[in-house]
Amino acid sequence: MTAMLAVKDLQKSFGNKKVLQDVSFEVERGHIAALVGPNGAGKSTIMKSILGLIPTNGGSLSVDGQPVRINSHQALEEVGALIEYPGIYPFLTGRQHLELFADGKDKSADIDSVVHAMEMERYINVKAKSYSLGMKQKLGIAQALLNKPELVILDEPMNGLDPQAVKHLRDVIKEMAANGTTFLISSHILSELEKLADTVLILNKGVIVEQTSMQQLKDGTQTVFAIATDDDVRAKKLLTAADIALAPGDAIGILQDERGGLDSALRLLIGADIHVLAVDHVEGDLETSFLNVVNAKEVR
Amino acid sequence: MLQLLKQELYKLVHKTGTWIALGVMLGVQVLIAILAKGVPDFLDATNAVSGNFMGSAIALFIMIASAASIIAMEFQYGTILQLLYRKYYRSQVFISKIIVIIGQAICLWVIQFAFTMLLKVIMFPKVDLSQSIGHGQTLLSGMVRGNASELLSAMLLLSIVVLLSTLFKSNAAAITTGYIGYFVIQIASSMLLLVIDRWEWVKWNPLTMLLFGQQVASPDLSKLTHLSTGVMAGGSVVYTIIFAGIAYAFFRKRSV
Repeated sequence: MTAMLAVKDLQKSFGNKKVLQDVSFEVERGHIAALVGPNGAGKSTIMKSILGLIPTNGGSLSVDGQPVRINSHQALEEVGALIEYPGIYPFLTGRQHLELFADGKDKSADIDSVVHAMEMERYINVKAKSYSLGMKQKLGIAQALLNKPELVILDEPMNGLDPQAVKHLRDVIKEMAANGTTFLISSHILSELEKLADTVLILNKGVIVEQTSMQQLKDGTQTVFAIATDDDVRAKKLLTAADIALAPGDAIGILQDERGGLDSALRLLIGADIHVLAVDHVEGDLETSFLNVVNAKEVR
Repeated sequence: MLQLLKQELYKLVHKTGTWIALGVMLGVQVLIAILAKGVPDFLDATNAVSGNFMGSAIALFIMIASAASIIAMEFQYGTILQLLYRKYYRSQVFISKIIVIIGQAICLWVIQFAFTMLLKVIMFPKVDLSQSIGHGQTLLSGMVRGNASELLSAMLLLSIVVLLSTLFKSNAAAITTGYIGYFVIQIASSMLLLVIDRWEWVKWNPLTMLLFGQQVASPDLSKLTHLSTGVMAGGSVVYTIIFAGIAYAFFRKRSV
């Protein structure tokens, strides 16, 4: 089956500066792909290239099997997008923005459905110049979701949204994906997409350094137990001497591995007459795992 | 393409400024008519009617602002991305904007001319539209020709304004440059006649074509422009297309 979105050996330079190097990935229909990377990694450039907004220096892009280039946009008929920040005409209301871009037979019902999905009923008939950052962001997303697109590209969609709106947006995206819509969503904060994405594309300095599933990335995180004692200095010396894996930092953090770690550490400390005052379970940190991937590839 | 035209019209119709500008244009026409009626020594009734009660002059000012902002506003509001990523080409987006500008100009000219006629009938019934104004023309036929030629000259000026506006990311900067450009061109085209008298070839420059409207009103101007009225009409169209083409080239190359 043809991938909904296929990017192959994409190259992009601005002057002498290479911004994207041999970027290749595919997103299957109905999947949610997260494009994650630090600021300036090239996320928006990839999205602009997919949308035929900027010329590329090599490689190919296709949406549902149809090629996309700066001078070939037919494949984008069924695509909705929000890039960088929402474009807002201050003289139009939210609803008028949607009417402006609404297409197809049942425009009114489609607009109502998007407004309802984004919970914008309260202010949709107010001029957009009075909107807050979050309201503008929701309107930008609503425009991307309009006309029942097959592929939706969202650049940092959680920007400016409160936690409740973020959760709601996740639900909307999941529901649309379950109905067959494909999503490519970028963020510089991986945890924002943790509960959403099927595939994670980690981008750094214009290169895809890792393409993996969210589950695999989660599996790569390590469990840490933070221990407090009445003599941390001696405790740390003992644990190091016993070759028990410790997390970096001043506090005592026991890395739980296949050999156990916590059990051995506690036995050792109690045997040495050190009082253990507290043991805390530190959740596996996805962000650290993401940074590890980025940094490890940089070292290579 | 039809969808793009609908979008451009939708934006134009929903801008409050569109309607305020129209109101100002009609208001100025009423004021000039009242002035001509109350102080005929200051403004002769026939001249007031033939000058459209300043309607065409105000229409040109409105159109300069409209043409300057139609592209610049998309960059200022950050709406250019959502306009360009869809299935349409940049050329289609550009052409839809140009068509709307042409359409708006024609509408304004028709409205101000119709309103001139209305004011004439109500306030100046004694002004005879069939009176001769020389060169075998009646007042009415002269006004129709005058408005048509002003509209053609306006298109040339607006193509220059659109070209300048593609260089700006702010509405206000584009509009200000449009107005400054208008006054500079007006002054330059008047001074041009002296230069043409010395160097014949200078007559082919685009600023000479901007005198087309004046030459239609005063055919004797051809002795100074060294161009027939027909050639100036053709030249205006050619230069309008050239400037619009350059504006498109800038728009196409512009990064988003």
